[in-house]
Amino acid sequence: MQVKSEIAGSVWKIIAETGADMAADDVIVILESMKMEIPVVAPKAGKLTQLHIAEGDMIAEGQLIATLE
Amino acid sequence: MSWDNEIDEIKQRRKLAKQQGGKDAVKAHHQKGRLTIRERIDTLLDKNSFDEIGEGAGVPDYNDKGKLSDFQPANFILGFGQLNGRKVIVGGEDFTVRGGSPNPAGLRKSVYTERLALQYKLPLIRLHEGGGGSVGGTNKEKDRRPLGDPVFSESRFVPLAETLSAVPVASAALGPVAGLPAARLVASHFTVMTQNAAVLIAGPQVVKRALGHDMTKEELGGPQVHLASGAIDNLAEDEDDALAQIRRFLSFLPDNAWAYPEKLTSQDKADRCEDMLADIVPTNRRQPFQMRQIIDAVVDRQDGGSSFFEMSRKYGPSLITGLARLDGESVGVIGNDCMYYAGAMTAAAAQKLRRFVDFCNSFHLPIVSFVDEPGFMIGPDSEKAGTIRHGTAAISAVLQSRVPWASVQVLKAFGVAAQAHFGPDGYVLSWPSAASGALPVEGGVAVAFAREIAAAEDPAARQKELEDMLAASQSPFPRAEGLSVHEIIDPRETRPKLICWLRLAVAAMQTATPGPYLTGMRP
Repeated sequence: MQVKSEIAGSVWKIIAETGADMAADDVIVILESMKMEIPVVAPKAGKLTQLHIAEGDMIAEGQLIATLE
Repeated sequence: MSWDNEIDEIKQRRKLAKQQGGKDAVKAHHQKGRLTIRERIDTLLDKNSFDEIGEGAGVPDYNDKGKLSDFQPANFILGFGQLNGRKVIVGGEDFTVRGGSPNPAGLRKSVYTERLALQYKLPLIRLHEGGGGSVGGTNKEKDRRPLGDPVFSESRFVPLAETLSAVPVASAALGPVAGLPAARLVASHFTVMTQNAAVLIAGPQVVKRALGHDMTKEELGGPQVHLASGAIDNLAEDEDDALAQIRRFLSFLPDNAWAYPEKLTSQDKADRCEDMLADIVPTNRRQPFQMRQIIDAVVDRQDGGSSFFEMSRKYGPSLITGLARLDGESVGVIGNDCMYYAGAMTAAAAQKLRRFVDFCNSFHLPIVSFVDEPGFMIGPDSEKAGTIRHGTAAISAVLQSRVPWASVQVLKAFGVAAQAHFGPDGYVLSWPSAASGALPVEGGVAVAFAREIAAAEDPAARQKELEDMLAASQSPFPRAEGLSVHEIIDPRETRPKLICWLRLAVAAMQTATPGPYLTGMRP
């Protein structure tokens, strides 16, 4: 399952670690956009297999953030 | 002599009409997991209430003796029906006959749909699945009628356009919908599509030939595309859900623009105060909150849930739009969603707002606005999208409103875009978290006091000092002192305060004779 960003902004903080078991709505990363901290959450429960971004990265709308299994 | 033979023929024709595209075509349709148009209509309407029009319309075949040998029914089914006890008009293509691409009788019935709605001033529901005309036209070779419509005939698009000012129109895409049916679909106040539907101007083969793109019809016009494009308002899990959403949408509306919406007996207490409202807005303005939770806490509870019915969630998502009941009255609800660009007004959000405000005005729905507007979206993409024009058009629509407006300033109201949340003669409530001005302090100070900050011994400390000073000036208390807002309230009081206002506002509105809403040129 691919988790994509619905907004443009930058990666402010990575919260979850690769390999972690995520419940639905668990926060994966927090983006900064328009001076606000916007969480990107797991849409469903699953294992976080890959993070495709690093802190400080600029993110475009629709960009892949993480992969869950 | 009697008319028995002719009467038998009527029965025979009715039987043939009910066969639709034939057993095999109906079976193939069911195998795709779809209902036929007749099944859809029966599912939508109150039991046994369908009163068909033009059942005998179709393409006949006669034998040498001039007797009917076969009959292809019109592939558009049309009629009156009852929906929750109210009269409506319903129509839709029969995909089992020619894939819904109109045969001559089908085309006539489809064109008649909007006229019928205008004539009887009844809500119109269209259940679409079908294509447009084919390059070969709709006539068989043996049918040598003159080509085209006479120059003096009215364009079929005139009633299509006029229905939107006259009656509520709700449409569903329940399979592939292309060409004229797609145009009909979007000429609606509410559109819903199922997961396996696609809405297309032209299908994959035409697109491939013209542009070289090799795409499926789902890639071209599936829900992922059209919920974001704004052509379709809502996604439905399945056909039953699509029909249920149409029933729910229409439940908020009057039969036509010449009537006010019906007030229901509210199942909810008018003085209900929710404690969660007191601390739902974080004091740290960098942290977001969920505006939908505020909306749900304020509007009526109905059948164990919120009465809020959201429309167009995926289009212009920084703005929330939907219908709800408040004290049993139908209201339009708008609110900023700070999870998307802090709730800033994008070009899409502006168009969504303008359309929604015009819709509320068309059917006399008071508007309740929950405000957290940081301003127009900034940056290169926003400039390219023409946000300033779309935004100004939205503001014009808001300020031309003739329905009552109440605005609850939850947090931000900044810049020109803030105007889009306050209607004429509106009732304004301010939460203690409210902040208003030309620019949010966080961005404005760094720009307006750039030199002063740079020259300071400790620039960061000076910036913080200036920000604190200006934040105080954006506080709601001085505005309440100056009667710039009606009241500054404990957020828990929002529902009872709005209901007191709504009772007065609806009574005042209903002293006027209702009628269609027509506006002039906008930016």
